[in-house]
Amino acid sequence: LLMFSWCPGAGQDVGRSCILVSIAGKNVMLDCGMHMGYNDDRRFPDFSYITQNGRLTDFLDCVIISHFHLDHCGALPYFSEMVGYDGPIYMTHPTKAICPILLEDYRKITVDKKGETNFFTSQMIKDCMKKVVAVHLHQTVQVDEELEIKAYYAGHVLGAAMFQIKVGCESVVYTGDYNMTPDRHLGAAWLDKCRPDLLITESTYATTIRDSKRCRERDFLKKVHETVERGGKVLIPVFALGRAQELCILLETFWERMNLKAPIYFSTGLTEKANHYYKLFITWTNQKIRKTFVQRNMFEFKHIKAFDRAFADNPGPMVVFATPGMLHAGQSLQIFRKWAGNEKNMVIMPGYCVQGTVGHKILSGQRKLEMEGRQILEVKMQVEYMSFSAHADAKGIMQLIRQAEPRNVLLVHGEAKKMEFLKQKIEQEFHVSCFMPANGETTTILTNPCIPVDISLGLLKRETAIGAAPDAKRPRLMHGTLLMKDNSFRLVSPEQALKELGLAEHQLRFTCRVHIQDPRKEHETVLRVYNHLKGVLKDYSVQHLPDGSITVESILIQATAHSEDQGTKVLLVSWTYQDEELGSYLTSLLKKGLPQSTP
Amino acid sequence: YRDLHTFELQAPTRLIEWARENRVCVAGYGQCDGNEILQLIPPPTLLTKETQGLCPERDFKVECGGFSERPVYSLKYVPDTSLLVTSGPPDSSLQVWQVSAEDSDVIKSVSTIATENATGQSWAKIATISARAPWVLHGSRLDRVQITEVESRKNVYTAASRGSEELSSLAFLDCNLLLLCCATGRLCLADTRQPQGLVEAVPAPSVPCSEHWCMGTRHAAQGSEPSSQPVARLSSRGLLALTDLRKTSEFLALAKARVPSPGSGAEFLCVSWAPALEGYLAISGFDGTVHVYDTQSWDSSGREAEPIFVHKGHVFGGAGGSRDPPLVTVHTWHLQKPRTLLSAASDGSLHVWDWVQPCGKC
Repeated sequence: LLMFSWCPGAGQDVGRSCILVSIAGKNVMLDCGMHMGYNDDRRFPDFSYITQNGRLTDFLDCVIISHFHLDHCGALPYFSEMVGYDGPIYMTHPTKAICPILLEDYRKITVDKKGETNFFTSQMIKDCMKKVVAVHLHQTVQVDEELEIKAYYAGHVLGAAMFQIKVGCESVVYTGDYNMTPDRHLGAAWLDKCRPDLLITESTYATTIRDSKRCRERDFLKKVHETVERGGKVLIPVFALGRAQELCILLETFWERMNLKAPIYFSTGLTEKANHYYKLFITWTNQKIRKTFVQRNMFEFKHIKAFDRAFADNPGPMVVFATPGMLHAGQSLQIFRKWAGNEKNMVIMPGYCVQGTVGHKILSGQRKLEMEGRQILEVKMQVEYMSFSAHADAKGIMQLIRQAEPRNVLLVHGEAKKMEFLKQKIEQEFHVSCFMPANGETTTILTNPCIPVDISLGLLKRETAIGAAPDAKRPRLMHGTLLMKDNSFRLVSPEQALKELGLAEHQLRFTCRVHIQDPRKEHETVLRVYNHLKGVLKDYSVQHLPDGSITVESILIQATAHSEDQGTKVLLVSWTYQDEELGSYLTSLLKKGLPQSTP
Repeated sequence: YRDLHTFELQAPTRLIEWARENRVCVAGYGQCDGNEILQLIPPPTLLTKETQGLCPERDFKVECGGFSERPVYSLKYVPDTSLLVTSGPPDSSLQVWQVSAEDSDVIKSVSTIATENATGQSWAKIATISARAPWVLHGSRLDRVQITEVESRKNVYTAASRGSEELSSLAFLDCNLLLLCCATGRLCLADTRQPQGLVEAVPAPSVPCSEHWCMGTRHAAQGSEPSSQPVARLSSRGLLALTDLRKTSEFLALAKARVPSPGSGAEFLCVSWAPALEGYLAISGFDGTVHVYDTQSWDSSGREAEPIFVHKGHVFGGAGGSRDPPLVTVHTWHLQKPRTLLSAASDGSLHVWDWVQPCGKC
């Protein structure tokens, strides 16, 4: 197994993921992420690393995308349309549905707002998605005759998956981003005991010991409550789905318990989209959501109503969920502009914001923003950030390794030196090798593939008949011929192999000359040799044939007089290759000479 | 509460030690191999004085870690060095470790400080100081107290014997004065400049009746006398005795805490003074709670005292109801934020909490 990797940026929250795996001659690219911190070409991985010449389509067997976060799929249109790749791209159904939306949003911000030129176009996004093959969970997909992949549930975000890549009996599991603890709307990641040769796992958050969810939620509710109590308005910009549902459920329960009267609104564009996606991907959410959805429409909350643009101007406290999530356009930005000037109000950003968006600017501390038409907007409202996105911590990583039982583990992370502790921890607990390559580094992992071989029954019977009864505790040496035919390996007897292959058997015969000093006549010498051998080789069949030759089993011995010296007799010992052992023994025995006192 | 953060460690700890730059250290005490020593960076919310609510960085980060073959019962950083010392069963020897956070994130085992007749004794209690040199004060019994220089492992001082009682804790009052607390409640003072004998003994506050005692000391401010700070002693029955070391013949104060009966054992008894609040102390180890007391109103009557605040978080945090309720194993005060404490329990939970001063007091 060979591995290249472009790892997430050092020390940063969000980097870019793009990993190349070579397994049993197949090349697979795992994720194709964009680096969110850079504004220039550094944001895209350098694909010339893959192959200096030759087309990517020929070199790569497939591309797999784990989930829709931009640091995992952001460079995909660039890769497939601008660099050039026409092979299959695999991802789960929700990922396929959501990716293009995020990519288009991102493209709009980068090109329209920031005026960048070297970027992919809307058409490129569409063309790229045409190459995508959507997969279901636990469905084995044959990429070609030898390569197969399977997606597993990863939690983290809707549609996120971990992928198993298998060629013959060698396999790799790539986790992408995953979470081992379930939250309100997603379950926990799960792998079966697939025992891959290599498990590639995200480890950026391995050193984190997370604050409990209850505390985060309690603090969120406290902030919202405080703002609403003092008459302020709370804006929560959200992406269409996922966290929005969680927060809604949270607020609804809280409002009910505390008997609060302030209105909570959900913008309509949001409800339609969210409902649509949830209906499509209900199996991807966890049990609780599914039950709720079945019982009632996701958005029929008692306290949460549909939003109307005009409500934003209403006096008094309120909470509004609006899209888009990074405050870069649309309704959430409109509302933000209306409310930013009042310090009683609050905006809570529930996720990472891309550079260039208003969301990113206010999270970085900017309080004076330049809007269209050179208008300056002074931000007096409170700005809060709360990330719900969950990643596996050290405990979660250990849990996953325990579930999957890999032979080797590879950590994808930021800084190499900071992972030594986790590496030792994994090695000590599971007795596996742990690797932590840096950006651009290649890791080679040796595998011991098992090659199954069928043994013919006839051969098995024959070999076990020889010698002692089979003993379960002792290995037994057997002889046979290994036939590799029609993609199968079989162990058969040599005769059968010859027959199947239509080859003729050749006989090898050895003849050795042994000189003996004996002045007597030939037939007397023969008699002496016969009696001698009969006496020594009691367990063997020694015969004196009428034609004057001696046989020991199937070995032939004949005596002739030496051409020049009458006192010397030449014994010709002849045997086939199969009787090599006995033949050699006989020869050395005869070389020792005949005992003197023989009749 | 003003603030409450709950975390879950992979393995429970019975120590929380502060290190340079507000780092916190915890360690596992399980019987089998593979106990981890973890040096943690607290979330920025704890590093700053002002509490922020929804700050994105709310998590502890493991800065570096090490693996210990034995359970870690006690850990102390050696000031002004990159070393730390641990102790734990099965004997009273000490393990010395090196923390080099810049190069790698592994805390490496460096050496062992062996003690005479180490086997058969319980684990050593330790204290460290780096006045004349990096020293560690250690011992499991009153007749086995010594100071060893950490790097050279040379013995620098051995306390004269005054009995063979088991020690529950010891402390450096300054670079010359040592304070030893026996499990019976007896306090002994020693001066390293006078190797002849333990100087003073402060008797146990009550007739020993199989109670187990531990002590808590408070660091004096720069310039003031080390023995000016009262020493608190806590018994497994909940008795709290405050003593001024300059007037050892009488108690400064005596009170009784409302705690469950002694059935819970004395393994995790812990009493500590608030570093930034005058007269406040906290106790734990009886159940899943931590009590905070204001001792300024106490007298020597031994009456039951009312806690200012009780942290019950560990009781409610647990996963399943069927298991035994968790026991708080240790607590400590934040060094700068006056009302912030950290506490850990036997279920692996780690809480950071900031209590609100009840109205009327300030």
